[in-house]
Amino acid sequence: MTLHSPPSLERRYLVADQPQLRVTILDVGLACCALEVGAAITAGLLVPQVSIDTDFHDSVVSVLLISGTVTDALAPGVIRAWAALEEPRLAVSFGACANTGGPYWDAPTVTKGIDQLIPISVYIPGCPPRPEALVAGLVRLAQPCVLTLSDPRVESR
Amino acid sequence: MTSQGRLDVAPADWAQVVSGLQGGGFVLFDFITAVDRGATIEVVARVVNPETRVPAMVWTTLPADEAELASLSGIYLGASWCEREAAEMFGVRFIGLGDARPLLLRASLGEPPLRKSSALVARAIRDWPGAAGSTDDGRQGGNPSRRRQLPPGVPEDFLRDGPQVSRARGDEQ
Amino acid sequence: MIPAEAHGTIALRASACTSCMICVRECPTWCIDLESHTEQVSEAGARRPRTVNVLDAFRIDFGLCMYCGICVDLCPFDALAWSPEHDHDATTAAGLVQGIEELQRAWPPAGPPTGN
Repeated sequence: MTLHSPPSLERRYLVADQPQLRVTILDVGLACCALEVGAAITAGLLVPQVSIDTDFHDSVVSVLLISGTVTDALAPGVIRAWAALEEPRLAVSFGACANTGGPYWDAPTVTKGIDQLIPISVYIPGCPPRPEALVAGLVRLAQPCVLTLSDPRVESR
Repeated sequence: MTSQGRLDVAPADWAQVVSGLQGGGFVLFDFITAVDRGATIEVVARVVNPETRVPAMVWTTLPADEAELASLSGIYLGASWCEREAAEMFGVRFIGLGDARPLLLRASLGEPPLRKSSALVARAIRDWPGAAGSTDDGRQGGNPSRRRQLPPGVPEDFLRDGPQVSRARGDEQ
Repeated sequence: MIPAEAHGTIALRASACTSCMICVRECPTWCIDLESHTEQVSEAGARRPRTVNVLDAFRIDFGLCMYCGICVDLCPFDALAWSPEHDHDATTAAGLVQGIEELQRAWPPAGPPTGN
């Protein structure tokens, strides 16, 4: 398998009511949970940063957001997406399917939790989780036990 | 045809009856699927007359161990997708279906997954929290030595003598 | 904001639970788990002691839970209820399993909402 440089699919966001938290999210929207991520954007909980904003610190955490059921067919793509993200990077498991396989844990072709393939920093429960739960999970990413914004891996320009 | 639009036909008449329906105005193909009744597999095709909005559902019954039926893909082009799906999910063979590639499943999983005889291994071997013996006094029926209950849908003799996997997800950490 | 009837998480009122195990058996994803034992309770004026179930442990694995609400609907003693709380993420998969204490804390202060 060759690893080519994928087009930049990550989007930058501000998180509403959390001015210190700016994330670059690559949303791997595999199933229904992807709609809740979309709802978070339309509800204004995640504010996309479209313009080149000099105030936006470039190397805040890159987040791989796995939202939906991971199947044998899609697992290699998820792994490739993770490998292509630059450090500092963290992965968030969004919803029951990404956490454990969810209601499809008994299906032979379903990965019983994406944490079997890549390291997950935050697990957000739900089927699907509310957009507010996504924000709470992203805030958890910034907490000291996960990653501090003063962590030497995180450089601000 | 019954007033609800149901037609029961013999397998040998399947293609002829459906072809006749198409000629009689039922030109809209809806679906073909199957139902596992244990000893038999029923196959159903639904077609609609778009002018009158009248639907027709044609049913036939096949023996489960020899489920073969004429393909309707020569009559309705869209039938080929449904027949490919019914073939991989129920193990029905459609004679005359040119493209018999699996529609959804990437690899052979053994028995066709929608047959009732095909048990989900994961449910059969994992300890079911709802089984008797979760309490210390065998409260289910009051007899601790009674055979543990099986979860719904698992055949009685399926892998019962096999190794038991860990009880809860936390055990695997 | 988030309505009080929102299906955020599932809460337990342990005092109402009789360990009948209906929720455990009916859960489609097998995410509920309980342990109990029986005790004899003597009551004044009663001819003989009563046998009661005592709940030792009750766990819901919210990593598996599909939030269908079958357990809430079926509990004959209304020991389970929806709570609008949505903030239960964890840094490990095992952290998504909640026991009696956490499930009790989520019990809505106004009681379970009426209706669906």
